[in-house]
Amino acid sequence: MEATHAHGQDHAHDHGHGHPTGLMRWVTTTNHKDIGTLYLWFSFIMLLSGGTLALLIRAELFEPGMQIMRPEFFNQLTTMHGLIMVFGAIMPAFVGFANWQVPMMIGAPDMAFPRMNNWSFWLLPVAASLLIGSFFVPGGASAGGWTMYAPLFLQGGISNDMTIFAVHILGISSIMGAINIVTTILNLRAPGMTLMKMPLFVWTWLITAYLLIAVMPVLAGAVTMLLTDRHFGTSFFNAAGGGDPVMFQHIFWFFGHPEVYIMILPAFGIISQIIPTFSRKPLFGYASMVYATSSIAILSFMVWAHHMFTVGLPTAAQLFFMYATMLIAIPTGVKVFNWIATMWKGSMTFETPMLFAIAFVCLFTIGGFSGLVLAITPVDIQLQDTYYVVAHFHYVLVSGALFSIFAGVYFWLPKWTGHMYDEKLGKLHFWLSTIFFNVLFFPMHFLGLAGMPRRIPDYALQFADWNKVASIGAFGFGLSQLILLVVVLKCIKGGVKAEGRAWEGADSLEWTHLPSPAPYHTFETPPTVN
Amino acid sequence: MTGQTAQNRTILKKLLLVSVLMFGFGYALIPFYKKLCDVTGISKDKITVSNTQMDPARWVTVEFDANLGAKLPWIFEPQTTSLRIHPGEIKQVLYRVVNLTDRTIVGQAIPSYGPALAGAYFKKIACFCFTQQTLKPHEERLMPVQFVVQNDLPKDVHTITLSYTFYEQAKAGAT
Amino acid sequence: MAQEQKSQKASAWQAARAVFWSFFGVRKSTDYNRDAVRLTPGQVIAAGLVGAALFIATLVGIVYVVMH
Repeated sequence: MEATHAHGQDHAHDHGHGHPTGLMRWVTTTNHKDIGTLYLWFSFIMLLSGGTLALLIRAELFEPGMQIMRPEFFNQLTTMHGLIMVFGAIMPAFVGFANWQVPMMIGAPDMAFPRMNNWSFWLLPVAASLLIGSFFVPGGASAGGWTMYAPLFLQGGISNDMTIFAVHILGISSIMGAINIVTTILNLRAPGMTLMKMPLFVWTWLITAYLLIAVMPVLAGAVTMLLTDRHFGTSFFNAAGGGDPVMFQHIFWFFGHPEVYIMILPAFGIISQIIPTFSRKPLFGYASMVYATSSIAILSFMVWAHHMFTVGLPTAAQLFFMYATMLIAIPTGVKVFNWIATMWKGSMTFETPMLFAIAFVCLFTIGGFSGLVLAITPVDIQLQDTYYVVAHFHYVLVSGALFSIFAGVYFWLPKWTGHMYDEKLGKLHFWLSTIFFNVLFFPMHFLGLAGMPRRIPDYALQFADWNKVASIGAFGFGLSQLILLVVVLKCIKGGVKAEGRAWEGADSLEWTHLPSPAPYHTFETPPTVN
Repeated sequence: MTGQTAQNRTILKKLLLVSVLMFGFGYALIPFYKKLCDVTGISKDKITVSNTQMDPARWVTVEFDANLGAKLPWIFEPQTTSLRIHPGEIKQVLYRVVNLTDRTIVGQAIPSYGPALAGAYFKKIACFCFTQQTLKPHEERLMPVQFVVQNDLPKDVHTITLSYTFYEQAKAGAT
Repeated sequence: MAQEQKSQKASAWQAARAVFWSFFGVRKSTDYNRDAVRLTPGQVIAAGLVGAALFIATLVGIVYVVMH
């Protein structure tokens, strides 16, 4: 199947006709590819901003004692690092992938609601400016942790209002994006593209979008309650008025745990596209992958209280949430085994996307196992709020979500730009990232087990050595990401011409039916899928 | 393509409705949680702070007495005359005081204990006797005493009498 | 989602089996393809809700046994 670009080519040169050019092209665009690109660049900028905050944190923690900042500012850094990375970097990156890939993978001409798509993107820079701008208001940025717990968030200055407002905007953007994706997938599939023939990336995004629609409004409700508690005299969480601060945690984590899967299910999807491609075998157990994904999504609503084992839950509830949490390991394990079985006896090659995908499988599994450790209530009570937790969620969010994003970028860059990326630089980026990632986060397991608490600017002397190691890893990891920037810019400028089917083993529609780069308008006449 | 647009709109409306319902669901969680805990009683083994120093096996009777010194024209009486308590238990009783005159009087209450040795084990956490009390003409007031009887109270003490006597302070201060 | 021909509607038992396997996260391809053709979304949602309720009830039962 050599790139059969039946109709795509005709449209390859019409972009720009009747469209605004320059900056206005990007502001007014309703093209799913343009919007995908905007999302991805926005996400990259946020990754660098949130990363800079993280490097400031690690610089302060390089040695015990207070060196370069006040403790209040340190708290602002940890809070904003979390918010920016979760809502600014990881989630928009996946929406960017969805915008680029979902229409091409199901043979649709564009997203179902192109104008709404434009709005959902342009809300993001507004929210990001609110978040970053809050560093410069009196009292500095929010410092109560990314989880915005009451009562800390009920106190504090205007920056908390800015954060709440930013979360509202991000929530609206995510809900609009999710509605768009669900509608596109349900209504715009090419003839013959039944649900069961959809690439797994599309499946995971369909389920993720449903999760978003279900939980983002709950988060919006929770922060609205914070806002009315702060300014309008309600007492949802204000103990002085008869409210219950623990209630905020219950509502927040009802959103927060599905949110964890919102950030990892699309990653599963990307990995499930890449591993079969570079193993030159179809995905092992496609059906069970779909079922495992839905199962994880449903179970994710039943485990929220494992984030709050130490708030004084009754023993029965602690047991319930411990068992439920451990059971999530089963469908997740099914996925990991399916990826391994896909690679089994495949004729594998190790280009950069595949390297990142394999690193994802190994390192995400480590993060999954430390999650199982934390699921055990008595252990969690010991490890709550220590660096063990920090290690755990960075293994699932950095080597999980972020590595899958890297893998996806390398995988689809030839399709997006029409050029092969620089494989040497890509591999360098991979090895530096993987090595420094482990240097950065693996020691945090030791620190946590030894009892070092998170969110503190200073620590006892016995933690000094591993903190120094982690900080060295942090700077290595952070600087390595500039290689990605170089690779992407080089790839946009030029390079080896990519074929329509740039990867030998790739078999979804964007590879088999479209040239590289994908024309501005694709599948205006839907392809037929057999 | 119009049929397509209509179909898209239908899904859009449904999903928007779901979002709005979920927003309401966030608010509904608050009464829901409260109801759930009430109905199932699952929070009954919630950890509550308990006074580990209390000796529930032992009972001590505390009697309350009130006296007025030097013909002070006040009414002064305990609201509770006697109480059965455990050593280590924190309790509070109220005394009533009324100024019967047309002038402001400053008084000071002095405690005493029977048996006298019990005084060392009788710890007052809050007491109107800690400061002077100023009563305006015909003022009436309820005044608390919060106390705990220590665990190491000698075994043979079964009853403690707490007696207060109010004395008028420096008449010069009051006109 | 109109393309697939609905040969015949699946029984409640088949829906229950599909949902059970989905909780476990494993499904034979042949069974899956049959499910996909014959299960209606309404059936899946109903079976899913019942499945979730059973799942919670089982866990609550285990918790009860452990605590008494």
